[in-house]
Amino acid sequence: MDKKSVIVVGGGIAGIQASIDLGSMGYKVYLVEKTAAIGGRMAQLDKTFPTNDCSICILAPKMIECVRHENVELVTYAELQDVKPDKFGGYKVKILKKPRYVDIDKCTGCEDCIAKCATKTANEFNQKIDQRKAIYIPFAQAVPRKAVIDAEICRYIINGKCGLCEKVCQAGAIDYNQKEEILELDVGAIVLATGFDLYDISAMKEYGYGSIKNVITAMQFERLICASGPTSGHLERPSDSQIPKRLAFIQCVGSRDWHNNPYCSSVCCMHATKEAILANEHYPDLKPYIFYTDMRAVGKRFQEYVQRAHAQYDVEYIRSRPSKIMEDEETKNPVIYYDDTVERKVKQMEVDMVVLCQALVPSASHKDISDILGVGLDGCGFINVPDKLFNPMDTDKDGIFACGFCQSPQDIPDSVIQASGCAARVAEYLAEVK
Amino acid sequence: MSNNGFQPKLLAFCCNWCSYAGADLAGVSRLQMPHNLRVIRVMCSGRVSPEWVIKALSSGMDGVMVLGCHIGDCHYIDGNHRTKKRFAILAKLLGTMGINPNRLYLDWVSASEGVKFQDVVIKFVDRIKELGPTPIGAYQGVKVDR
Amino acid sequence: MSDARVGVFVCHCGTNIGGVVDVSAVAQYAKTLPNVVWAETNLYTCSEGGLASIREKIEEHKLNRVVVAACTPRTHEPLFKNTCEEAGLNRYLFEFVNIREHCSWIHMQEKEDATQKAKDLVAMGISKVQYLDPQQEYEGDVFGSSMVVGGGIAGMTSALSLANQGYEVHLVERENELGGLLKGVHKLFPTNADAHKVITPIIDKVKAHKNIKLHMPALINDVKGFIGDFDITIDENGADSEVKVGTIIVATGAQELKPVGYHHYGELENVVTQLELEGRLKKDEKWLHHIKGIAIINCVGCRNAERSYCSRFCCMTAVKNAWILKEANPKSRVIVLHHDLMAYGVEFEEYYRKAMEAGVLFLRYDFANPPEVIGKDKVEHVKIHDELTDSHLDVACDLVVLTTPLVSARDNEPVSKMLKVPLGDGMFFLEAHVKLRPVEFATDGVYIAGSARWPVDIAESISQGYAAAAKAAIPMSSGKIKVEAITSYVNIEQCVACGTCMLACPFSAITVMDSDGRVHAQVNEAMCKGCGTCVATCPSGAIQQKGCTDQQILSMINTLAEVGGIE
Repeated sequence: MDKKSVIVVGGGIAGIQASIDLGSMGYKVYLVEKTAAIGGRMAQLDKTFPTNDCSICILAPKMIECVRHENVELVTYAELQDVKPDKFGGYKVKILKKPRYVDIDKCTGCEDCIAKCATKTANEFNQKIDQRKAIYIPFAQAVPRKAVIDAEICRYIINGKCGLCEKVCQAGAIDYNQKEEILELDVGAIVLATGFDLYDISAMKEYGYGSIKNVITAMQFERLICASGPTSGHLERPSDSQIPKRLAFIQCVGSRDWHNNPYCSSVCCMHATKEAILANEHYPDLKPYIFYTDMRAVGKRFQEYVQRAHAQYDVEYIRSRPSKIMEDEETKNPVIYYDDTVERKVKQMEVDMVVLCQALVPSASHKDISDILGVGLDGCGFINVPDKLFNPMDTDKDGIFACGFCQSPQDIPDSVIQASGCAARVAEYLAEVK
Repeated sequence: MSNNGFQPKLLAFCCNWCSYAGADLAGVSRLQMPHNLRVIRVMCSGRVSPEWVIKALSSGMDGVMVLGCHIGDCHYIDGNHRTKKRFAILAKLLGTMGINPNRLYLDWVSASEGVKFQDVVIKFVDRIKELGPTPIGAYQGVKVDR
Repeated sequence: MSDARVGVFVCHCGTNIGGVVDVSAVAQYAKTLPNVVWAETNLYTCSEGGLASIREKIEEHKLNRVVVAACTPRTHEPLFKNTCEEAGLNRYLFEFVNIREHCSWIHMQEKEDATQKAKDLVAMGISKVQYLDPQQEYEGDVFGSSMVVGGGIAGMTSALSLANQGYEVHLVERENELGGLLKGVHKLFPTNADAHKVITPIIDKVKAHKNIKLHMPALINDVKGFIGDFDITIDENGADSEVKVGTIIVATGAQELKPVGYHHYGELENVVTQLELEGRLKKDEKWLHHIKGIAIINCVGCRNAERSYCSRFCCMTAVKNAWILKEANPKSRVIVLHHDLMAYGVEFEEYYRKAMEAGVLFLRYDFANPPEVIGKDKVEHVKIHDELTDSHLDVACDLVVLTTPLVSARDNEPVSKMLKVPLGDGMFFLEAHVKLRPVEFATDGVYIAGSARWPVDIAESISQGYAAAAKAAIPMSSGKIKVEAITSYVNIEQCVACGTCMLACPFSAITVMDSDGRVHAQVNEAMCKGCGTCVATCPSGAIQQKGCTDQQILSMINTLAEVGGIE
C-alpha cells in the first residue's frame, strides 16, 4: 500500500476541506467527485447562516486552494468501482472515470459549445427550475471550469446527429470517442464525504408538491433568491412570476415523521430562518411565516439570528405542523390548513407561495458505497459510525473514515470540523501502520 | 444623457476576493457594460491609498471607484471597515480641493454579484457623464484624449 | 526601470478575446512602449504551445519582465508564474492583465472601444511590471512540538492525536486531575454509558503516552513568539519552566452556570443544577427511591435578556437525567419543562422518543409564563403553565433540577491576552471564521477546540479536538511555513514608529521594536497575510506591500493618464 496516499470520496465542502488538510500534511490525495465539478451543496446556496455570507464567495477560495494544491489531484465525473483491502494494509481501489467527451486539458471554459447546443434538459443544479444544454458546465464558478456532455441526451452520442459543439470548439476539445477509464490506485486510507440528497416529497400528497405550482422546496427557493440563479435573484413565483407578499415555510417535511424519516435533519430550522430573512431583505413588503415544531437554533449566534429574524425581518414563527395545503383555483395561491398549537385553534391561511423544508437524506450512492467498501450503513442509510461518542469519524472498517452529512445530519461548520478531524484520524492511522 | 459625446475616463480598484471576482462573474455571464472603466486589482480594499485616488482625479481621470467586500465579509477581517472610514473623510477632502466628491464612489460587491457589478458600472458612468469632464486636467494642460 | 526587458504575450483565447479585441493591434501597440523588447500573440497562451513560447522568448530575448494579457489572473496566474520560474525568471517579475472577463466579454458589440481598453490595460501592466522586484518567499521553521492548554476531553483528544502522529505534546492542566467537566458527569447520552468508565482509559492513555509531557497542576504565565516558534513560560508547582513549541491548541473548556437568583437556587434545599444532580447520582442512586416528584426546568439563565444563546446540548442532558430518574424510580413523576427541545440529528431524536416512552412527561412552557418553584426550606411544589394545553398545574415536587447553560471559563480573558487571540460573544473565544475556519484563530499557529469556543457535547468536543490536531499538524508536518511574497515590509529610515500600522493590522503581524537604538515598525512575515491595510494607513509611506507598492500603482495611474484613450 502507499502509506502516503489517501482517497477522499465526495467533493463537497467536507471533502474539499479534508483534501486540503491531508494534502497540507504531506499526503497525496485523490479527490473523487461523481459530478463534473466540486462544490457540492454549498455551491447551490445563496447565503449561509448565521452570518449571511455569500456561500460561493467563501467556498470558491477553498475550491481554488484545493484544485491548486500540489498534493491534491481532482478526479471529477468519476465514481468508486471496486475497493479491496490490500494484504499488506491499505486498499487497492479502482475508480471509474466516466467519459466527459471533452478533453479537459484543451477545454478553456469559453462556452462557445454551450451557446450552440440545441438539446436541453432540466437543470439539476437549479433544482429543475430552468434548463441546461446537453453540453454544459455545472455552474458559473465550477471547479474545474470545463464542459461535459450528458451522454443520455446528446444527439451525436445517441445517434450520430448534430455534432455542432465539435464544429465550433476552437480549442478542438470535443472528443466523441472518449471512453471510460479505470484509474487503479493503492492507498493507505479512505475518507467518505458523500453528503446528502433531498428527500423526494412528491409522494407526500398532503403538501401538494408537484401539483400545486406555488409550492416549492427550500433548495428551489435558494436557487431563486440567488443572484446567479435562474431568475437572477428575483423571487418569482412559478405560476405567474409575481413576487409573493405572503411567504410560508413549512418545517420538518418528511423529517421527524414516522411515515417518512424519523430523524431530525438538523439544519432546516436555521435554513428556513435564513431564507425568510433573505426574502424580507429583498422585498421589505414580504411577510414570511415559519411553521415549526421545535426551533432548533443551537449553534454559535443562532439564537440571536432567529430573534433578529423576528424583530427586524418581520418573520412570524407559528408553532404548528400543517396538515394540508390546498390551492385557490383562480389565484393559484396555496391555502394552508393547520392546527396552531399555542392558540389551540384549527386555522387556514392563504399565502402566495409555500416553501417546503424537506428532509435531507443520505446520498443515493450509499448503497453502492456500502457494497463496494464494505462499510455498514445505519438504520437510516447514513454511513455507520459504531462509536459516535468517542470515535465520531471512524466507520466500522479499518482505515475508512467518514465526515459531514454522510454520517450524521449537520451544518457547514460541523462538517468542516469533522473533515479536519478525519485528516487527523488518517494521519494517526497511517502512523500506526508499519 | 451624454455631454457632447463626452466619454468619462474611469478607474476602479477592486479587491481580489470579492469585487474583482464579482467583476469576473459579470464577464463570465457576458453582462455588457460601458467601456469606460479600467480596473486595478488589490488584495484588499483596505490597501487603497487616498493618495492614489487624489492622483487619479488630479491627473485627468473623471471618476474613481473603490469596490470591496461587504462589511463583515472582508477576507482580511476588517480591511473594508478602514476603507469605509477613510473614504468618508476623503470625499469631504475632495470637496475642499474643488473636486466634486461624487467623482469618488465606494461600494461593496461580492464574488457572486456579477449583476451588481454591471449595475454599479452603468450607474457610475451615467453619474460622471452628468457631472461632465473633470476640471483638473484641463487647467494643468495635461493632454487628455477626449 | 532603464534596464527592463519586457516581453508581452497577448492571448486570443480562441475567439473569446480575438473575436472582439484586435489582439494583433494590441501586441503591436505594446511593442511601441518603452522597454518592451518582445510582443506576440497566442491562440491560447495557457496551452502547451503558449507556455513553451513564453519560455523560449524569455531565453531568446533575455526578458527580465513578462506580461500576459489574457483571462482572469484568478485562474491561471500560478501557471504562468511557474512557467517564468522554469525559464529561470523570478516568478514575481510577472504581471497578468485581464482582457477577457474585464474587456472582451463585457464589450462584445464595441470592438474598437474594447481594443482601446485592452491597449490601456496592457500599457498599465507594462508600466507596473517594471517596478516589480524579484522576491523570495519567506520560509520559517516550525518546531515539531505542540502545547495543548486544558486537559478536558477536547484537550486530551488533541494531545493524543498529535502524540500518535509522532509529535511531542505539552499538555497543561490547571487542576489536579485530567477530565475537565466530564469528571463530574454520571452517564453519557445517547448511550447511557458510565462516564467514569469511559474516560478513565483515555486519561490513562494520556498519562502513559511517551510523546505527551503532562504539566499538572500548572498555569501558563507568558507567551512569546509566533507560529513555529512560541516560547511559553509555565508555572508548575511554583516553579517556572520554559517550553518551546511550534503550535498551540486552546482547549480551556467552560463552566456550568450556577443560577443564583433563579427558582430559589441556593435558597431551597433540593434545587440543584444538572451537574450537581449528576454528582449526587455518581455517589449512589438509592436516594432517588424517596423522591416522588421531579421537575426539570430547561433554559434557566439563558435564552433571555442576560444571556441570549442556547447552550446546545443541555436539552439532551435534561432528557438523559429525566430518563435515568424515571428508570430508577418508575413510580415517581418526572416532568421536563422545556421551551424548544433541541434533539437534533438521528440519535438524539430517537433518545428523546425513548425517554417519552419510558414515561417522562415533556411539557412546553412559554418564557412569559415560567414555572414557579415553591417551598419553605425545601422544595414542595412547582406551579406550571403548560403552553400547549393552556392549563395551570400545581405539581408536588421534592426535587427541582435546573438546566443551565455553559458559560465561559474564568481565565479566558488572561489567556486571550497572552495568546493575542480574541474573545467574542459571552467571552467565549472567537474563531477565524465561524463557517469555514471553526477551529482556527486569525493568528496563525493557535487553534481552538471544545467548549472554550462555544458549548458543545462530548462527541463534538472530540471532533474538534481531532480537527485542531490536524490544523496544528499541518505546519509541523513539513517543519516549514512558506508565505506568498505579497507581504508588507518597512523602510526603517522613513519609519517614525508612530505605531499606526501596528494598530491597523488585523493579524497582529506588526510590532514596534528597537534595532540598535532606532525604533521602528517591523513586520513579522510569518504572520502577515498580505492585505496591505497597513500601507494605506501609514502617514509617512514607510511601509510598503510587495507586489503592490505605491510606486507600482502610481505608475499605472500615470500611464493611464498619459496614454489612455477613451473616445
